[in-house]
Amino acid sequence: MTANLLLAQGWENVTTRDITAAAGIANGTLFNYFSSKEAIAASIIGDALETAEQDFDRRRTGDESLDEDLFAFEWASLKRLRQFRKFLAPAVAAIFSALAQPLHEDAGAEIRTRHLQTVQKVLASHGVPQPLPAVLLQLYWTLHIGAFAFWANDSSPHQEDTLALLDRSLKLFAASLSGSQGVEHERSPE
Amino acid sequence: MNVHLNELIAALPRDDSGPERMFAREELERIFADLAMRPAPTGSLQRLWNMSELSVQAALAYGFSRVRGWFAAAGDEEQRKLETNLRIALKIVHRLSYMRGALMKAGQAFACFPGILPSEILSTFEGLHFDAPPMHYTLIREVLINELGREPEDLFQSFEKQAFAAASIGQVHRATLKSGEPVAVKIQYPGIARTIDADIRNLVALMLPLRLGRNWDGLRIALQEIHRVLKMEADYRVEAGSIGKARALFQDSDRIVIPRVYERYSGERVLTMEYLQGRHLPDYLAMQPSQESRNEFGARICFSWYRMHAAGLNYGDPNSGNYLFLDDGRLGLLDFGCVLDDPAQAERSSVYHSVYASDRSAPDLRRAFIELGLNPEDLNDDSYLAVVDESVRWIREPFEKNGPFDYGDPAYLRRRTEWLSRASAHGHCLADDASILYFSRATFSLAALLYQLQAQVDMKSLPMDQWWRERSRQ
Repeated sequence: MTANLLLAQGWENVTTRDITAAAGIANGTLFNYFSSKEAIAASIIGDALETAEQDFDRRRTGDESLDEDLFAFEWASLKRLRQFRKFLAPAVAAIFSALAQPLHEDAGAEIRTRHLQTVQKVLASHGVPQPLPAVLLQLYWTLHIGAFAFWANDSSPHQEDTLALLDRSLKLFAASLSGSQGVEHERSPE
Repeated sequence: MNVHLNELIAALPRDDSGPERMFAREELERIFADLAMRPAPTGSLQRLWNMSELSVQAALAYGFSRVRGWFAAAGDEEQRKLETNLRIALKIVHRLSYMRGALMKAGQAFACFPGILPSEILSTFEGLHFDAPPMHYTLIREVLINELGREPEDLFQSFEKQAFAAASIGQVHRATLKSGEPVAVKIQYPGIARTIDADIRNLVALMLPLRLGRNWDGLRIALQEIHRVLKMEADYRVEAGSIGKARALFQDSDRIVIPRVYERYSGERVLTMEYLQGRHLPDYLAMQPSQESRNEFGARICFSWYRMHAAGLNYGDPNSGNYLFLDDGRLGLLDFGCVLDDPAQAERSSVYHSVYASDRSAPDLRRAFIELGLNPEDLNDDSYLAVVDESVRWIREPFEKNGPFDYGDPAYLRRRTEWLSRASAHGHCLADDASILYFSRATFSLAALLYQLQAQVDMKSLPMDQWWRERSRQ
C-alpha cells in the first residue's frame, strides 16, 4: 500500500501522515514499527531483495564465472525492484547517501549488511580469500550504489544501458580482485 | 605480427628510405598485435578475429600507401607535421577499435585523417575509448528476453552458452530451433547504438575547426559514412533486409549460399540465421587446395560480389572472415551488416563500362566521372582526371584480360598501392560520394582477398548479367 502511494505521488510528496492515513492507523502505531519514511522504504526494498536472492540461488548452475555470478545477483535484485523504480532514486539517496543523517543510517544498514554478506558468499565460492578487506567491500558497495542510481534513472529501452554498466563495472571489480590477490580464482565447492 | 599484413606490406612499393617512414609500420604492427589480443572468449574466436583483420589490414595498407605519397611530396617541416598527425590517426584507429567492424569497412576514412588532424584533438579521444567485451550467458539471456520476449530455454531446443564467433559489436552462438534447424544467433552487446551516436557527435564537434581546411569535404563524407555504417551495424533488422535482397539474387546452380534469416527469432539486437558448416580461408588454405579449387572459389567470390553490385547492393566488406568454403564446393557469404543499398548504382556502373567500351576522349571521361558523382571542379585538373582514369582502368583490368586473370600476382595489388601514393599527393579523397568510396575500397579488399587465395579467374566467362557481359567484352 505504501509502495503504491509512493509510486502514485512520488517520494518527495508522501509523508508519514499520508501513509498512516492511507493505512487507517495512528501515527504512533506506525512509529512503533518504523522510525521514518526512509525506514518504510528500506523495508520495501529489503523484502524485494530477499526474493531476489532466492531468484539468484535458483538460477545458479555452478558454471558461472565470478563476474557473471555477481552480475546475476545484482540484476536479479534490480528486476525485483523494477516495479518501485519510480520512487527508488530519491529513496535510495536518502537511505544510503554518505551524507545521510544518523537518523536514517539504520534504515539502510540492514540492507547493506545483507547484500554484502551475499556478495562475500559468492566471492568465497570462487575461491576469493575471506574475509575481504574492508576497503574492497566499500569499493564494491560504491559500485553497487552507483549502478543502482544509474538504473533508477535509466531511460534506455529495458534499461539496457544499465546492463552494460553493470557488466563492465563487475568485470573491473572481479579483475581487481585477481590483481590484488595475485592469483586467478578457481571456483570452490560450496 | 600477422602474416597477412606482412604480405601486403611486402607488396607495397619499396622506395621508402629513412627511419622516420618506418614508424608507421611499427605502429601498425603494434596496433594489430594489441587488437589481436582484444576480447575473445576462446582461442577459436581470437583466430577468427585475426583473420577478419585482413579487411582492416587491407584498409590500413590502403591508407598507409596514401600517406606514403604525402611524405614523398612533403618538405622536412611538412613531414614532421604529417608524422605527428599520422601517429594521432593511428591512435584514433586504435582507440576506436570497438568500431573495428565498421571502421574496417569505412577504411577510407583512415586515409583521410592524416595530415588534417591537429594534435590537440588527440587527448579528447582518450575519453571515447570503448570495448565491446565478451558477454557471459546471464547477460545474453537478458538481451534475448528484451529482444524476443522469452527465455532462451523457451525459444531454442538447445543454445550453446559459449560463443563460437565474434561479431563487430557482439558475438555469435550456435543453437537449435525447437523444429530442429541448426542456427547461428548473433547477439549485440547492450547499449552500443547510443554509444555510437554520442561518440560520433563528439568526433564531429571536435573536428569542426577543420571545416575550412582543404580536406574537410572528404573528411565530412568519411565521418558521415562511418556513422551510417555503424548505425547499420547496430540494427540487425537492416542486415536481415540486406540478406533477403541478396538471397533473391542467386540460384542453387550458382553454388553460392547466403544463410536465411529466421525472423521470428530476430530483432534489432538479435539475428538468428541458418547455420552454415564450412571453413574460413586459413583452414581452407591449410588443406593445400588445388589450383582448380582455388580458381572455382575465386570465381564464385567475384561473381557473387559483382552480381550484388550490379543489383545495387554494395557488399562493403569482402574480407576473408565473411566467406565460408563449404566441403561441397559451394561458397557461403556471411555478415551483411555493411551493405550499401544503392539502386542507382547499376546504372552508374554501366557508365564506367560504356565509357571504356570505345575510344574515349578526355571530355567523354570527364562527363562520365561527373555522372558518377565526382566533383566537376576537381575534374578540370587534367592530372586529377588522369588519376581517376587510372583507378578505373585498374578495376577493369581483370575484365579486359582474355583468359584467366592471375589475382595471385602481387604486381596487381602493388599497382593499386602505387596509384594510392600518387593519388594522395593530389590531396583529394577521390570521392564526394559514399558509394564511390565503398566501391573503391571494396574492390581493393576483394583483390587482397583473391591475392590470398592465389586465384586465377576468367572474369569474362563469369555468368553475369547480360548487360554487364556486353560491356566487359567490348
